[in-house]
Amino acid sequence: MNTPLTQTEILETLRQVIDPEVGCNIVDLGLVYSASCQDGKAVVTMTLTTQGCPMHESLCGGAQNALLTLPGVTEAEVQLVWEPPWNPSMMTEDGRAIVGTQY
Amino acid sequence: MEASLPIFAGVKPKTEAVPSAARPTAHAPSLTLPLRFMATGLIALSCGIAWLVAQPMILATYHYTPQAVAATHLFVLGWIATVIMGAMYQLAPVALETRLYSERLARWQFVFHVVGFAGMVWMFRVWNMPQVGHFACLLGVGFALFAYNIARTLWLAPKKTVAAWSMAAALFWICFTGVAGLSIAAGKCVYDDVDKFPVTSAVGALLHGLRAVGHFVSRFAPMGAMHAHAHLGLVGFILMLMVGISYKLIPMFILSEIQNARRAAWSIALLNIGLAGAFLSILLQNRWKPIFAVVIVSALILYGCELAAILRARKRRALDWGVRYFLAAILWLVAVSIIGLVLSWPGLRWTDFTGQLENVYGFIAVMGVVSFAIIGMLYKIAPFLVWFGVYSPHIGRARVPALADLYSPRLQAIGFWSFQAGIVAASAAILCQNEIGVRTGCGALAVSVGTLAANLGKMTCHYFRPRILPLQKSTL
Repeated sequence: MNTPLTQTEILETLRQVIDPEVGCNIVDLGLVYSASCQDGKAVVTMTLTTQGCPMHESLCGGAQNALLTLPGVTEAEVQLVWEPPWNPSMMTEDGRAIVGTQY
Repeated sequence: MEASLPIFAGVKPKTEAVPSAARPTAHAPSLTLPLRFMATGLIALSCGIAWLVAQPMILATYHYTPQAVAATHLFVLGWIATVIMGAMYQLAPVALETRLYSERLARWQFVFHVVGFAGMVWMFRVWNMPQVGHFACLLGVGFALFAYNIARTLWLAPKKTVAAWSMAAALFWICFTGVAGLSIAAGKCVYDDVDKFPVTSAVGALLHGLRAVGHFVSRFAPMGAMHAHAHLGLVGFILMLMVGISYKLIPMFILSEIQNARRAAWSIALLNIGLAGAFLSILLQNRWKPIFAVVIVSALILYGCELAAILRARKRRALDWGVRYFLAAILWLVAVSIIGLVLSWPGLRWTDFTGQLENVYGFIAVMGVVSFAIIGMLYKIAPFLVWFGVYSPHIGRARVPALADLYSPRLQAIGFWSFQAGIVAASAAILCQNEIGVRTGCGALAVSVGTLAANLGKMTCHYFRPRILPLQKSTL
């Protein structure tokens, strides 16, 4: 029997999804708000840097693709939310370094 | 140990999944639509610059010649309007967070537009005004289709932002520009045989109507009418869109946001007010010209202040070359504004120098500001279109390149500086009526366009040889 996936494992997989405009993965960019997996169904709640982002489909579809590569995951759902809106303080230290964020 | 998510724990996001049908890119047109407009525009740009290199006298002498009028329409309609319209079909849904009303209409518009502008340019060159009018009618049908399509797209937009208002204004001005251009063409035609056709017949009604329009337009000074028409197109359609769309796109590219929405709205409002007044005062050649020139410059100052504030608030430190191109183009607006204010002065005497200053004014506006800004935006849009078409389905399944990996920054840098050098050299040479200098300056512009073509070629290579690598194994 598979052991349940931890949030760390899910996030590590989602780090493979890179926003091609800024060159940073969606986790370190702070776009992922929550991630969980239960009974083979992975659910991720995420946002985008701006509404109407042209990368909308690519990033959501990419997150879904990445989740389906996890062992034991048979179903993946990506929920896109706009509240709270993304802001750069949500980025990790690694994300800030990649993007070259300034405060 | 659990990894911590960047969101602060105290805020619970509203987990309302967005249905796929509401996703903007789900309704974006197919990639071939904007790409065909862009390819046509780049061909027109290359032809235009080659023409200036071959015949520098077009710029080195006063611009009221068939060649200058034809070349101007090649750049403005063939290059600038074509690329802007193609980009609008892609960007309007993004900027307005909605979908394009009809891709089919856009495809028809492309046909009318290309046949219309190509025929117009050729007929201007041989100064056959009736044929110019015929091709302008085809172009006008294309304009109408474009305006209808984008207007319906605007109608679908959930929010009426500054970008949306600027697009609505631009649609009005482009239609007005087309009507004004057709009227000027009607004024330059001869109607010797019109009386043979009874006014009650369809053809007769059309010809009598055109003659009436022609008589009306002939009341105005030809140069005044031509300059008023040019300002309608350049300020009303092109500059309006540049300003409005950049309020959406520049913050998106540099991770920033509009700092003062009221200031942004005022810049659009003043641009409209200033243009309406400038059009009339240029057409009537009256003393109100400097007043409305000041109104337009005030709008641009507000725009510059807002753009500077957006830049200061950016969270992405480094600016890529695409954004640098755009910002450099905006800086050229300072030169255009100063020259425009000088030329608007009612007491200014017409001399060879002021005539050439008018050429410089138009040259910097068309090439230094608009063309350079479009090249900058092309460096943002073209890689996205290629990436979206080639790599989007693989994201999350394989390692794919970032947008910045699709082109060469070194070529971008060469293109940037050669374009700047070309604008400076050609402008100085135009003032001095020096054909060799104009040819040299336009040669530098050709080098810049060559670097753009090389970079676009690099991007296109990804269609044929995609760089898709397996995902890296997790370190866990």
